[in-house]
Amino acid sequence: MIQLDFVTILYVGGIGLLAIGAAGLVICNNFFRILLALVVAEAGVNLLLVLVGYRGNAAAPILGFGPQGAQMVDPIPQVLVLTAIVIGVGVQALAISVLVRTYRSYGTLDVRELKARFEVDLAAEMGIESTPGSEAPAA
Amino acid sequence: MNAVILPVVLPMLAAFLMQPLAHISAFTARLLGPLVLAISIAMLVQPWFLPDTGPFTVTFAGFVPPLGIVFYVDRLALIFAVAVPLFTLLSWGWSTDTHGDEEKKAREDALMLLLAASATGLSLSGDLFNVFVFYELMAVSSFGLVVQKGTGPARIATLRYLLISAFGSVLALLGIAILYAQTGTLNLAQLGQLAPAALHGPAGLTAFAFMLIGFGVKAELFPLNTWVPEVYATAPARIAGLLAGLISKLAALVVLRLLVVVYQDTSASQLLLLLGTLTLLVGDFSAWRSRDFPRMIGFSSIAQLGLVFIGFSIPGPWGVLAGLTVALHHLLLKTGMFMLATRWSGSLDRLVGCAKSTPVAAGLYLLFALSLVGIPPLPGFWAKLVTLAGLAEQGSAMHLVALGAVLLGSVIKAHYLFRFALKLYSRSDHPALRHGLMDLGTAALIGIALIAATIYVVPIGERLRAVAQQAADRDTYIATVFPDHANTAAPEGPR
Amino acid sequence: MRNLAALLFTGGLSFLLLVIVSQLNLGETPMIVGQRMLNEAGAEVGAANIVTSVLLAYRAFDTLGELSVLFAAATTAGLVLGHRRSDAVPDPDGGFILRAGADLLFPLLLVVGFYIIIYGHLTPGGGFQGGVILAAAFFVGVLGRPGTSLDHGVIIFIEGFAGASFIGVGLWALFAEGQFLKPMLETGTVGDLVSAGTLPLLSLALGLKVGSELAGLLTALSDTEAGEP
Repeated sequence: MIQLDFVTILYVGGIGLLAIGAAGLVICNNFFRILLALVVAEAGVNLLLVLVGYRGNAAAPILGFGPQGAQMVDPIPQVLVLTAIVIGVGVQALAISVLVRTYRSYGTLDVRELKARFEVDLAAEMGIESTPGSEAPAA
Repeated sequence: MNAVILPVVLPMLAAFLMQPLAHISAFTARLLGPLVLAISIAMLVQPWFLPDTGPFTVTFAGFVPPLGIVFYVDRLALIFAVAVPLFTLLSWGWSTDTHGDEEKKAREDALMLLLAASATGLSLSGDLFNVFVFYELMAVSSFGLVVQKGTGPARIATLRYLLISAFGSVLALLGIAILYAQTGTLNLAQLGQLAPAALHGPAGLTAFAFMLIGFGVKAELFPLNTWVPEVYATAPARIAGLLAGLISKLAALVVLRLLVVVYQDTSASQLLLLLGTLTLLVGDFSAWRSRDFPRMIGFSSIAQLGLVFIGFSIPGPWGVLAGLTVALHHLLLKTGMFMLATRWSGSLDRLVGCAKSTPVAAGLYLLFALSLVGIPPLPGFWAKLVTLAGLAEQGSAMHLVALGAVLLGSVIKAHYLFRFALKLYSRSDHPALRHGLMDLGTAALIGIALIAATIYVVPIGERLRAVAQQAADRDTYIATVFPDHANTAAPEGPR
Repeated sequence: MRNLAALLFTGGLSFLLLVIVSQLNLGETPMIVGQRMLNEAGAEVGAANIVTSVLLAYRAFDTLGELSVLFAAATTAGLVLGHRRSDAVPDPDGGFILRAGADLLFPLLLVVGFYIIIYGHLTPGGGFQGGVILAAAFFVGVLGRPGTSLDHGVIIFIEGFAGASFIGVGLWALFAEGQFLKPMLETGTVGDLVSAGTLPLLSLALGLKVGSELAGLLTALSDTEAGEP
């Protein structure tokens, strides 16, 4: 059975963040909100990853920090999370720059509208007759 | 040993220095990329000439596994490791018109080099988190390369690709977290040792499913491949060829390593078989319906990747051989096809009658199409035969359904590929669309390689069979990484 | 309808995760590799902060990859955003309070950033964390005086050479001792500022690279006008 202690609450919180992110991905219609859902989901996963290294009543993994001979928490998940956070920041910064330029070109960040305009612009670029919705194969 | 580390590190070094160098001397910066890639190829070709003494490992920072990171170098890893700089060099952007913006060219070159470095590292790595980091590097560099053209559609396609890829990575990281919580290690060989005891239950399988979703984004697995057609239509064709041909195979290689070393039970393979079949069918159907050339071959490459996964899901060395032959064949073929797609980027109707003005290109397309469908004696036929034979041998209901799907897919493929060929050769008054010399030359080179593979199919097949045998051998993997079994005992608690 | 499907999907995912997480022995995970590192890091690497020793010694190759990811992201962002058009609408002036505040914060942030980088192997911190603070230090100046921007060339040079020196230290280890990125130089006594061999050097290279990279990225973002399409 799951004991209702502090760590369990943190775990549930981490899973909850991930769930919010996943829900946002599916529900949201604005690219910026989908990006925010991604940020929330990444935060949830990072929290879960740090908690994997948890040890009850343990000290931080720094020599000379806790009492001599005390148990220290696992350092590896902390390194993994550090790497994951940095990678996440890079991807988010990249996404924002693409979003800014997209907004400047199209004036909107709505998913459905951009999809429609994507088809139109691509068709114009490629010289296909743009007939939205027609699925007949090129005979 | 250096021969294996430097092809990963030198392109990174060159990428870091590319922009400052471009400020000092644009000419040197132009040359640096291809030079570094040529050096990498030269270094990775060396081990092929030495006698095969079996796989070996290369440690980093002087720490033995499982403490440190380790590179596991067997013949399979070497094939892909040498293919990476080779195909990156083939897909290099040699154009000299930069509209005066040297900095932009330097940035693109740096991204190509990082893509090559990470892909090489991915094929060699033996540590799960190292794989994840290189996978992310591959992803981020590819984001930059596909958004290159700077058009509106390119940005939207990149955005969707980015978001799907990032969510996949979140799930992959979750899978790694679950795996680590159950076993306490990130080294693939040690995971393989602990797997039968620790990863047997639903938690282990869920971790595999999450990691499959994460790595499957790049491997264009169903249902995570919705980004593929848009990106292939809006990215420069050589980049699309690189993604479809090389990068997707590396993602599939990662899944294979996970499957062979860590997850040798049947439920993981069955999941892979299911997804592979779905990918194949959806890919071929969508290609049949598409109306422009880049998207058509983009969808067909999704279908081929489904075939690769079907091959990998067959247990044992036969499965590795099946997937490997299809993967290598496709790697060669799709790069060539995308070279042709540089000029044929418009609607299919616009390309009617091109054969008259570009007979070489049309002939090459016909050759590629024949091999893709699987007409003997071209290599594509042998690759498909191995897969079909493996499926038939398994005999279970799922495998026979997959067999039927592969055959159905081949029929659909034949239809849409030859439909386009008919278009090319029909009479028309459309203006001529000439290909650039570099693109046509590269495609012709690949065509020659394909014909050479047809002639030498028996010796190549024998070599590949040995490679697959070595790769599917899990015990050799574990024994090579931990030769004395002394490093895997659990240590005592705090002193 | 779509919202309902989304809720079902999310609910299912959360339930699955809750079941799995309850099965994992949290608080009792097998720390096979972690425990060994905790036992050995002090003697072998010499850094008091074991997380830093894992980051820059045991798993230094991953850190190099992570560094490259950030570099690739910043390069792509620069590629996408391009340069500011010369006929763009100039930003409004920041005002006296903003300028004075920025000038006061700059040396403070600089000191804190370098402190965190240099003491990264003794206390929590390190290259990345300190680098971000350094980037903030330089960017605060740009925020306080809209319309000015950081010198692009200097940023590129610092970024390039800091990254190259990280790899350079690794290659030196490769050619001197046969192992890429092996910690060189003496280990020293745990807890001293000069200890842990080449780790502080790697930290410094990391901090400078991350700092200059993020400063360049932020400047590129702020240069982009949010004008009409």
